[in-house]
Amino acid sequence: MAEKKTLRQEFTKGLIAENPVLRLVLGTCPTLATSTSMVNAIGMGISVTIVLLCSNIVISLLRKVIPSKVRIPAYIVVIASFVTIVQLLIKAFIPALDEALGVFLPLIVVNCILLGRAEAFAGKNSVIASAADGLGMGIGFTAAVFCMATIREFFGNGTLFTGADSLLGLFGITSFTGIEIFSRLPESLNIEPILIFILAPGGFFTFGLLMAVANRLAEKKGKKKADLRGCESCPMAAACALKGGCETEIKEEVAAQ
Amino acid sequence: MIKYYIAIVLTAILTENFVLAKFLGICPFLGVSKKLNTAVGMSMAVIFVMAMATAVTYPINKFLLIPNDLAYLQTIVFILVIAALVQLVEIALKRFIPSLYSALGIYLPLITTNCAVLGVVLLNVEKAAADASFGFAASMFNSVGAGLGFLLAMVMFSGVRSKLESADIPKFMQGLPITLVAASLVSVSFLGFGGVVENIFG
Amino acid sequence: MKNLKQIMVPAIALFCICLVAALLLGLTNSVTTEKIALIAVETENKARASVFPDANGFSENKSVTLDGAEYSYNEAFDADGNVIGYTFSTKSKGYGGDVAIMTGVNADGTINAIEVLDVSNETPGLGSNAKKDSFKDQFSGMSGIIGVSTASKKAANSIDALTGATYTSNGVTNAVNLALSLYGEIAKGGAVNG
Repeated sequence: MAEKKTLRQEFTKGLIAENPVLRLVLGTCPTLATSTSMVNAIGMGISVTIVLLCSNIVISLLRKVIPSKVRIPAYIVVIASFVTIVQLLIKAFIPALDEALGVFLPLIVVNCILLGRAEAFAGKNSVIASAADGLGMGIGFTAAVFCMATIREFFGNGTLFTGADSLLGLFGITSFTGIEIFSRLPESLNIEPILIFILAPGGFFTFGLLMAVANRLAEKKGKKKADLRGCESCPMAAACALKGGCETEIKEEVAAQ
Repeated sequence: MIKYYIAIVLTAILTENFVLAKFLGICPFLGVSKKLNTAVGMSMAVIFVMAMATAVTYPINKFLLIPNDLAYLQTIVFILVIAALVQLVEIALKRFIPSLYSALGIYLPLITTNCAVLGVVLLNVEKAAADASFGFAASMFNSVGAGLGFLLAMVMFSGVRSKLESADIPKFMQGLPITLVAASLVSVSFLGFGGVVENIFG
Repeated sequence: MKNLKQIMVPAIALFCICLVAALLLGLTNSVTTEKIALIAVETENKARASVFPDANGFSENKSVTLDGAEYSYNEAFDADGNVIGYTFSTKSKGYGGDVAIMTGVNADGTINAIEVLDVSNETPGLGSNAKKDSFKDQFSGMSGIIGVSTASKKAANSIDALTGATYTSNGVTNAVNLALSLYGEIAKGGAVNG
């Protein structure tokens, strides 16, 4: 914390400058796995944002009560509770989304963004700042996954917003089920979707391209490239802090070889 | 019966590879795959923890949570159990098998909440709920298979990355972007395994 | 004393957090359990109705044994309460896991219609096409043991496989064939009367 940021800055930093996916390289697993369709991406994004907002607020509220020795298990309990609550609510009200996100819904628990923000921000800052941070980071995550999903769904399936009725059904709208694009093109063009974009390789590929674009933009602004920063980007960043910095240990290990 | 278990292991390694097909454990896959030694060390620790975690969570789920209608607590209970387990294993290794500790020790805290570990546990529970014949042994084989799949992906990818080091890469693709594109190509090769296991053991 | 405090304070704090978390979860669970159970029943009813649009109602779950395993099925009634067919919910191995299919079998042993319950483990864009009507409608009116025809291999009494998704097509067909064998078991048992 070099300088005090305004509330607005806390919120907006997560959107672009410190975008959790494209700049901090956190939460890569759910980014890749749930960006197969735009609707899944929005569903996952909203779920993560809600959990992040709630857990940031609660952890910030409890930051003076939680003894620092057990803060990691305490954070995990708080995060896991909110994840389970969100999971139960989605099961009850948007069952189609629960089916689509599958195991990645409970896996929000180990999403690096959540524990990372709890440890790096909410555990040290005021409630309102933490809420702004959580909301900004959540929306930044959603935006990045949504970007990826748009590319993957458009090229891979030839549609946009397919399956939108599962989300909109919540508001009583079931008529809009997505936009078919490729199948509407004249048949003489003979354009088929590039299926591999929604399969696993397409996920890695699209992520790589997005990353390249993000790096290029960052470079233009004279900022550092995003890269995996050893321990910091892996899920147990917080546990490393607990152990007194295993990043240095790994570096030493690598150097020793 | 042996055929059944071999099929489970091979499916977990090839067709349902955790990293390349299911997108679980991407962070260590990208972060610790630069050198073969660290890649193997990390994978060994993952296999070890996956097997331990399954051995502990399976009975908890079957005899504690499900009979008491507490299945909704799975996520929170499993993650705490895994976290505690890793700490215990670490202490035990340090005390009793220091040689193993020096080999795996530094990776252990990294994988406490690695999504692959919680993922394999949750997927086992899901499979067991859907198919009554998927019991303890099947869960264990599935976990070890998933870990071996992680090892395979890590070893292959560290080989690819060592080639990347000396390659002439356009500036805008350097670093993470080219790593991801390389991962994409490795993942394509695993698409080819679709149906192989069913054809052998079908 | 100080040592004890150092251990007790974190332990108590953690315990309290767990307690509150457990209470909150219990509360959410009690609110949502009913709704989740309701959704499961509704989805089944919907699937049953879609394989027998003409049926007026369905029986409670009944069970039939085949090769030592027990399966449940439902009878479909017309407006007068006569049994016009049976619905079976069966699973079989597809490409990435089990596919779940609801099959409606007429009283004469032909398929009325099938409905795809779960192909979420299949390849999106290929195997997931099993949900399309053009694939599902192929089964209507068939009976006996159904085969799968691919572009290179034609089989008798068969449906056409989905392009690029032979495993999913086989999975769906196997599930349907299982339903037909279950029907055969019921028919043998002389249960096919009102």
